[in-house]
Amino acid sequence: MFKPMKVWLVLTIVLSILALASSCGKPATNDATPEATTSGKPFTPGSGTIDGAIAYNGTPPAPKKVATDADPACGQANPNLTTEDTVAKDGKLANVFVYIKDGATADGTKIGDYAFSTPSDAVTLDQKGCQYRPHVLGIQANQKLRITNSDPTQHNIHPTPKNNPEWNQTQPNGAGPIEKTFARSEVLIPVKCNQHPWMKAYVGVLKHPLFAVSGENGAYSIKGLQPGTYTVAAWHEKGGPNGTEKTMQVTVPASGGGKADFAFGDAATASTTGGLQMMPALEIPLIGRH
Amino acid sequence: MNKGLHRFALLVASATFFLIIAGALVTSHDAGLATEDWPLSNGQFFPAMVGNLFWEHGHRMVATSVGLLTIGLVIFLFWKEERRWVRRLGVVALIAVIAQGLLGGLTVKLLLPLWVSTAHATLAQLFFCTTVSLAVFTSRSWREFRTTIEEKGTLPLTYLCVAALVTILLQLVLGATLRHSATWDKHLPTELLLAHVGGAVAVALVLASAAFTILRRHPGETFLTRPATIALGLLVVQLLLGVAAYITRLKSPDDPQPLNPMVGITVAHVACGALVFATTIVMTLRAFRALRSETHAWAANTPSVSRI
Repeated sequence: MFKPMKVWLVLTIVLSILALASSCGKPATNDATPEATTSGKPFTPGSGTIDGAIAYNGTPPAPKKVATDADPACGQANPNLTTEDTVAKDGKLANVFVYIKDGATADGTKIGDYAFSTPSDAVTLDQKGCQYRPHVLGIQANQKLRITNSDPTQHNIHPTPKNNPEWNQTQPNGAGPIEKTFARSEVLIPVKCNQHPWMKAYVGVLKHPLFAVSGENGAYSIKGLQPGTYTVAAWHEKGGPNGTEKTMQVTVPASGGGKADFAFGDAATASTTGGLQMMPALEIPLIGRH
Repeated sequence: MNKGLHRFALLVASATFFLIIAGALVTSHDAGLATEDWPLSNGQFFPAMVGNLFWEHGHRMVATSVGLLTIGLVIFLFWKEERRWVRRLGVVALIAVIAQGLLGGLTVKLLLPLWVSTAHATLAQLFFCTTVSLAVFTSRSWREFRTTIEEKGTLPLTYLCVAALVTILLQLVLGATLRHSATWDKHLPTELLLAHVGGAVAVALVLASAAFTILRRHPGETFLTRPATIALGLLVVQLLLGVAAYITRLKSPDDPQPLNPMVGITVAHVACGALVFATTIVMTLRAFRALRSETHAWAANTPSVSRI
């Protein structure tokens, strides 16, 4: 046998074996051990709220036009298809995920020590106009996420979590809804469509229901809080490889509510009002795979 | 020597090069998971080729064609090729293309783990070079080569050529790892990027040394100087493409989707890398061939020369 050919034969066989062996290992993200959500002191929703507004300082980047030549059905369904990573109007920022990150109720019980019942109703993520609707959503661990396709074309839903099993599923036009759950808390899980690479959504999975997403007017409202002192976090997808998160402490009084305003963009800040304790806003890029 | 066999081997090598381009397009468009199933796409052999499914399923169809061509080549080899070791290399190529297909399926089923994707990309290059080698071994210039070339200099030329091959292969593995470590909307990891740039310097030095040594020691031997000259030319193009790929890739996270020129340039960089590897293979094989003629000069007049 010609000597160089032996080299290639060995290389090819070794590489094939190594590659096949490397694929036999269990991927780390397939750990589906559910997080304990129902153990602990049962949480009784209160009448307290934390309200606020998310501002955008400076000039927001203009949305970019999406080319739909590869799938004309998208251009027909949504002729003005543009990116949605920064939806800011009149100095207000939409699609910011605001949630209770930590804290304790007035009796000293930490929010993490409470048990929260899993809602029976599903949260819907729709694919319409070749965009995800909504762009950012919150869901409780083990709560059903119902994914629908309202477009005249095929989509492919691919969440890329770090603490939950990853999956990838095609959904043809006219197909029934796909129902999935995420067993573990994770803020936030990026969702992409491998068919249409501009499509992105973000799913915040929490043990509790104490979260909200800012609307087009930048306003949000977290309801059902008991009196206590909480760390409120606000996350936006831009500003770092895995988004940018800001936090502050807010006290919810026995009657009434707390207020927490955040700002992103240039020289962004966070502020509270109404006698609430304020901490400096912290920029915490989330650690994530993508 | 069978002209038809050689031409068919060339066809397989050319089709494989086209397949490498098709595969690179899948990666640059982030289309690897456009369908969840394998080997069919959405349960069909001919799905609607829209969106990124065009690239992914198109790649699978080209791969199927190359697999069938490789089967045809093995049949042709067993029918017309008298040298057993060449027939065996054909079987190696068939095993490699089957393994490559299975790796492709694994990348989809396991949701693109980095090392499987890297192995898939690397094996693609190795398979390509195997088909190129088959084309070389079945060529008239190889079969009828009789000239005795005396080796000059203290460092054997074959050592330099093998060193160039190994350096290129390592650089290809680094490049494949880099490409699959981040999608178009994320920045490439700095450490891998620096390693790949370092690899480019190493390839440039080692390959240039090998090629210039050939040109300096054996200036009149076109059997050796032609692949050496082509390799040098491709090396320059590849280095320029690498710079262009870096510049366009820096900007892609700000784009709404994978766009040209990033897609075109990154694909061209992969394709040119394959050509550099292939040309260096030809250069190396011919260096071994020429030196064998010198050390086995007695074989020039014996029937057993047909074994080479």
